[in-house]
Amino acid sequence: MARINQLAAAVLLLGAGLPAAAHHSFAIFDHTQTHTLKGKVVSFQWTNPHGYIDLDVAEGPAGIDRYTVELTSINMLRRAGWKSSDVKPGDEVTAIVAPLLNGEHGGLLLELKMSDGRTLVPPVPAINTFQKSP
Amino acid sequence: MPGSLRFSLAGLAAAAAIVMTLSAAAQSAVPDLTGSWERYRGPAGDAANPPPEPPPPLKENFRAELDARRAAQREADARGEPQASNVTHCIPDGVPSMMSGPFPFEILQGAAQINIAQEAYSQIRRIYLGKPQQSLDDIELGFYGRSVGEWKGDTLVVDTIGIKEYVRFRDVPHTRDMHITERFKLVRPDVLWDEITIEDPAVLEKPWTLTFAYRRMPDYEIIEYVCEDNREYADENGVTRLRVGQSDPR
Repeated sequence: MARINQLAAAVLLLGAGLPAAAHHSFAIFDHTQTHTLKGKVVSFQWTNPHGYIDLDVAEGPAGIDRYTVELTSINMLRRAGWKSSDVKPGDEVTAIVAPLLNGEHGGLLLELKMSDGRTLVPPVPAINTFQKSP
Repeated sequence: MPGSLRFSLAGLAAAAAIVMTLSAAAQSAVPDLTGSWERYRGPAGDAANPPPEPPPPLKENFRAELDARRAAQREADARGEPQASNVTHCIPDGVPSMMSGPFPFEILQGAAQINIAQEAYSQIRRIYLGKPQQSLDDIELGFYGRSVGEWKGDTLVVDTIGIKEYVRFRDVPHTRDMHITERFKLVRPDVLWDEITIEDPAVLEKPWTLTFAYRRMPDYEIIEYVCEDNREYADENGVTRLRVGQSDPR
């Protein structure tokens, strides 16, 4: 159903003759605070225009169990040194994310700490505009 | 024949020979643009930095429309409900937006055709050299239009028409008659300028010229880019949302 709505919205937009604006906005994410989520990786989706990590959360804000973590374009990730094999299902990780403003259980990845001590930072444009919570 | 005239004719012939040789050299010595490039922003004062981008010289009613559109975008962003864009819908940028970055592009330069492959969305423009431009009536409007080019000395001049009206650069409106002229020129061995002039008399008070600079990336191989299962989507109001709670089905 969501898929159908998505297509319908796309058709409406195109049909209305609205321009295909070239920018991508990160305004759905909270720029004033971060969440720190400890948990287990369910999947690492290596795709454009965004990669995604699905996380089973063990420690984090109350009421959050499954979380959708958005990453930048995988082309940008690759140029920053990431590989699709860097994160695997079952990995215990700590993700620092800018949460969705609408309160749904998703956010933009700002930093990923792996259990082997590695810290992976995605090349988020204007990452300095996101204030990290202490 | 007086000696001095004979001398002059000989000199003229020699000069002509030199001119012809130089001309042939100029034709054969077009710069080699083949390879990967990305936007270049040099340090302050760097002569390879292009002039600042001027705002589009829009006619008043179009200026008002663009201002209103941009204000609505800013307000939507401030509410945390950004308007869905072509990125949300996996739709490529088209010409000339695809020349603005941030992803690299690759130029493949041949004698009869030059292709520019933009990494984002694997977009390709084809520039035909030595062919006439077609009439707009013979072109189906699209994202890249039809481009023909010719070398004028060390400068590649590219003429493009046939861009769909909703394929907008910087959200600036245009008609189907928009005409784009680009001048590609190396300003340093590894810095390329694309001077873009957009003409559309129904919308613009005068031609809009802006320039992008690119740096050569000698070892960079373009990475494939397919827009595949974007979990960001547009809701029924055209607002960007993120689909949460589902894992990758693959």
